[in-house]
Amino acid sequence: MKISNELKVGLTIIGATVIFILGVRYFEDLPLFATTYELKAEFEDAGGLIPGNLVRVSGVSVGSVNSVVISQETGKVEIGFHVDRNIIVTEGSYAIVTGIDALGAVRLDLFLGSPSAPQIPEGGLVDPGKGSDLLGDLSASAPEMFDKVSGVLDGLDSVLAEAGTMLSQPESDLRRTMSSMESAVAELDALLASERGRVDSIMSNVESVTGSLDSAMGKDGEKVSQVMNHLGTTLTTLDAELARLSSVSDNLNVLLQKLNEGQGTLGLLINDPTMYHKMDSTLDSINSLLADFESDPAKYLGEMKLVDLF
Amino acid sequence: MILNPIRALGKYSQLLYHAFGALPEFGTYRVNLWQQMMRIGIDSLPIVMLAAAFSGAVTTVQTAYQLVSPLIPRSIIGSIVVPSMILELGAVVTGFILAGRVGARIAAELGTMRVTEQIDALEAMGLNSIGYLIVPRVLAGIVMFPVLYVAASFVGIGGGMLVGHFGGFVPIGEFLEGAREFFQPFDPVFGLIKSLVFGFTITSISCFKGYNTSGGAEGVGRSTTQAAVASCVFLLLADLVLAATLL
Repeated sequence: MKISNELKVGLTIIGATVIFILGVRYFEDLPLFATTYELKAEFEDAGGLIPGNLVRVSGVSVGSVNSVVISQETGKVEIGFHVDRNIIVTEGSYAIVTGIDALGAVRLDLFLGSPSAPQIPEGGLVDPGKGSDLLGDLSASAPEMFDKVSGVLDGLDSVLAEAGTMLSQPESDLRRTMSSMESAVAELDALLASERGRVDSIMSNVESVTGSLDSAMGKDGEKVSQVMNHLGTTLTTLDAELARLSSVSDNLNVLLQKLNEGQGTLGLLINDPTMYHKMDSTLDSINSLLADFESDPAKYLGEMKLVDLF
Repeated sequence: MILNPIRALGKYSQLLYHAFGALPEFGTYRVNLWQQMMRIGIDSLPIVMLAAAFSGAVTTVQTAYQLVSPLIPRSIIGSIVVPSMILELGAVVTGFILAGRVGARIAAELGTMRVTEQIDALEAMGLNSIGYLIVPRVLAGIVMFPVLYVAASFVGIGGGMLVGHFGGFVPIGEFLEGAREFFQPFDPVFGLIKSLVFGFTITSISCFKGYNTSGGAEGVGRSTTQAAVASCVFLLLADLVLAATLL
């Protein structure tokens, strides 16, 4: 069968029409063959929503926004959207505009009500939910925040006023402190100005010292490292000596403890007072003996010829 | 000299007036209409689809190349390529190809008929030459151009999508997700309106140039060139006017 021109043209036109309709439905997020379910919602603020934005239920795209218009009567934004007929939007459902306007990724999130509630009729109104965006929250809590900020500002104001009076009274502490600080700073300034040459020379000296130190280190680096090595061994030896000293002092400790406890002769010597008492009485006796001897030496020295001379 | 374009506009309007007047005489152009629809529409499908596929692919690659910020999701490629194709490239690329392919042919055909006095012969036979020659061509342009536009957009989006997928720029799913995210229902309608206007502009200007040819073989060549150039220029002008008024 020869296909006539009419048939070819007709078939092509029909094909194009089908592709056009299905393509548009696809990009409009409409199911290709099933019908959809039109709904409306009224918002105070559309948040950048435009026709073509997605409608989602639990994160699944189920439709898209048809129209966003400002209602002449209420002044609110009236949003028309459609969803898949399989989604049963019941009473108690609510819609929220979410997403980031700056990125252009705004969408309508639909939260379904209880499945047992009656279904919202075609073209019915879905309740607007409270906006969960940051700006919305901010503007909602703005009055409270303004009150707080205003209180803080009042406090700051009175503090500033006090500070002002303190500063303006010449006899106030703050003023005096400030002025003395000022004069101190001025003096320091003058000092620095007058001694600038000296400071400079000190700095240059320090510089030269560090420079020569640096060169010395660089030149005699080997020697320095030898010295350091020697120092290291010396320190090690010292360490060993200290360890020995520590053991000696341990021994000494034990000894002292024994002495304290009155063990041994020395211990008794230290701890037993009887010997002291005995020595004391002995010394007393010697004392009285000497006194006696002084008063009457002859009594004791009678036998000695030399003493007769007196 | 200055008045020449205005004179041409007057002649063009007169021709269109006669053409519209001949519209009810369906019998005059019925056979020619199907033939022209075949030649303007269906025979142009392969080249239009080829060009559209390449322009879609190039748009995808260039958009991917220009998107360097990691903050921007890859699906944006889809949301840029699809509207570009639907709004502008689908219609304009098709228009340019048809201005060359169809406009030149119409002008050459009619010009040759004019210089070989075939048109005068038609008139002598009592046939309405405008109704017989021009109406079917312009009508075929108006009807078939949207068809070509749909084919071009479809193939262009498909080409962009496939190049994005196999070129590693954006997977098909993300491409379509991005396209659906920002799709405006008016876009394809606007594209259709544009293609209607382009179809009318190209065929009517070419018919006008061909129908008013004079000066033998040289004149036919001149008319053909003028038809192609004028079609392109007025197509761009119409594009701008439509975008400014309808978008």
